[in-house]
Amino acid sequence: MGLKKAFLRLATLGLGIGLMTSAALAANLRVLAWDGYADPDWVKDFTATTGIGVDVVFIGSDDEIWAKIKGSEGQDFDVFAVNTAQLQRYIKADLVSPIDITKLSNQKDVLPRFRDLSQVSGDTKDGKVYGIPFCFDSIGLIYDTDKVKPAPTSMSVLWDPAYKGKILAYDNGEHNFSFTALTLGYKDPFNLDAEQMAAVKAKLVELKRNVLSFYTTADEAQQIYQNNDVALIWANYGQQQVKALQKIGAHVAYVNPSEGALAWLDNWVISKGARDTAAAEKWIDFMLTKKVSGALSERTGFGNTVVESSSAGGNDKLVWLNNVEDPLKRSDLWNEIKATP
Amino acid sequence: MSVAATTQPAEKRLSLLVTVLAFALPVIFVLVPLAIFLVYSFFSVDQGTIVFAPTLGNYARFFTDPIFLPVFWNTIVLCVSVAVICILLAYPAAYFLTTLKGRWRYALLMLLLVPLLMSYVIKIYAIRSILGLNGFLNKALVALGILDQPSTLFVFNMNAILLTLSLLLIPFAILPIFLSLERIPQTLLRASDDLGASGLQTFLRITLPLSLPGVASAASFVFVLAIGDFLTPQMVGGISGFTFGRILYSQFGTAYNWPFGAALSVALAIVVICAILIGERFGRNRGTSI
Repeated sequence: MGLKKAFLRLATLGLGIGLMTSAALAANLRVLAWDGYADPDWVKDFTATTGIGVDVVFIGSDDEIWAKIKGSEGQDFDVFAVNTAQLQRYIKADLVSPIDITKLSNQKDVLPRFRDLSQVSGDTKDGKVYGIPFCFDSIGLIYDTDKVKPAPTSMSVLWDPAYKGKILAYDNGEHNFSFTALTLGYKDPFNLDAEQMAAVKAKLVELKRNVLSFYTTADEAQQIYQNNDVALIWANYGQQQVKALQKIGAHVAYVNPSEGALAWLDNWVISKGARDTAAAEKWIDFMLTKKVSGALSERTGFGNTVVESSSAGGNDKLVWLNNVEDPLKRSDLWNEIKATP
Repeated sequence: MSVAATTQPAEKRLSLLVTVLAFALPVIFVLVPLAIFLVYSFFSVDQGTIVFAPTLGNYARFFTDPIFLPVFWNTIVLCVSVAVICILLAYPAAYFLTTLKGRWRYALLMLLLVPLLMSYVIKIYAIRSILGLNGFLNKALVALGILDQPSTLFVFNMNAILLTLSLLLIPFAILPIFLSLERIPQTLLRASDDLGASGLQTFLRITLPLSLPGVASAASFVFVLAIGDFLTPQMVGGISGFTFGRILYSQFGTAYNWPFGAALSVALAIVVICAILIGERFGRNRGTSI
């Protein structure tokens, strides 16, 4: 008898707790982000100051974000992180809502290059703002300070015969066409016409003859660096790669080329299915505080939009990555370049 | 009586089930996927989506585009070279093993096969740090006074792929050769000795011909494994070591052109099947004549 009573009481208690948490869950802000964008201590601070609970789901790839948002037509999340190259796709599919910047008190204090969002390619459509940039990294040049003197200022150093066989480039047709187009001075590196494409291809064949190898992962580049005479690395992994190399005692430095460095830029966006737009706006505004943004750069090595960081100086020219005219064509040409003797 | 009558149909049903499974598994897991591949190779891609209308375009492109056939041919030459190197190194090793007595023979054989237990990627990484310009090999050659300065002869090129693949695949060559050598009846060797043949004559006229089936299957093993590999060329091939496997890999990854990748795979599969058939034919002819 006593046991049955205790059991019943336990069950009621359990039910009560379950109802309470589900009620709490119902009001919580649902955030979808990459690892490093919503650390537990920030979430705790946010809840403490605003009284809004937060549930964070982490994702591992662009395709996964698309699958999660598109799969529920945006109903499963209030706010999520996505890069500028991807954002247009979400706008076109009507999965994100325009953002009222006047509600974001911290947006007016961001670094100059992010203040006017109409100037940030990919963030706006028809005059409406859809994405608030908060994290970026450039794809610059890593050089060995003992071997490369004076310090390079342009990617054109990769074609310098003085460094023949001492260069590590990245094995990706899309990016290689874009950065070479910038080096050749083309305005829009993501939309090349046939003539420009041919010129870039010829230039990349020359590059191929000057490099030691093409790498794919940051670890791989590091291993090759350790066992060979490498002077220059085209740094697909930006600051993370520099820091890892410096940790093993390499004398390397990082530079964003003067003709413009390719760079990715992640934005906070508000989903079409957001239950509480005001809470989502508060989250974005909270992420744009000096404290959180500064910590983001310190912890990940990426640049942020509020405090100056080592990813890029104020005068560095950054070219935000965008969808290219024909990925298949670039990939085929890249194979042709690699097969050219 | 009645017990036997009831169990017999049950047993029959069981054996029927086993037979069906035995035929169904290879069909489902080998033939069907191959057929899907073959069918895909007749599709095409437009704007990142696959168009399911039959076309011969992929094959036409393979034969007419100036980049694919030369790379294809170079890759075949490379893999034949790998097979030859593996045989040349594996034969003496296997022969030595058969001269050993008792448990030593198998203990050493096991030792030679131990590298197969190790992850393949780790081995490539290890070899890459050995081959680098500041790698172990160059340092050793310079320290020994064989070279004045580190050589780029085996750094990120075809030679590096050749060396790496040979090193990775030698165990696959040793095993079949060892087995065929071990199968040679000792009586034949003794008879040859009795009839006054020298050691060299016995080897050339008895051991070598009788071990050729093993050599043939070893060669086809190594060739097939080498030609299907894309990771080794990707990791040690650098800029000049561009192989067919790397092109294939890119069609499925970055290019997102599965139909064309499937057509290239079919071309590769034909070569592989030919290699296996040749290995099989040599293996069987000699084997039955004993």
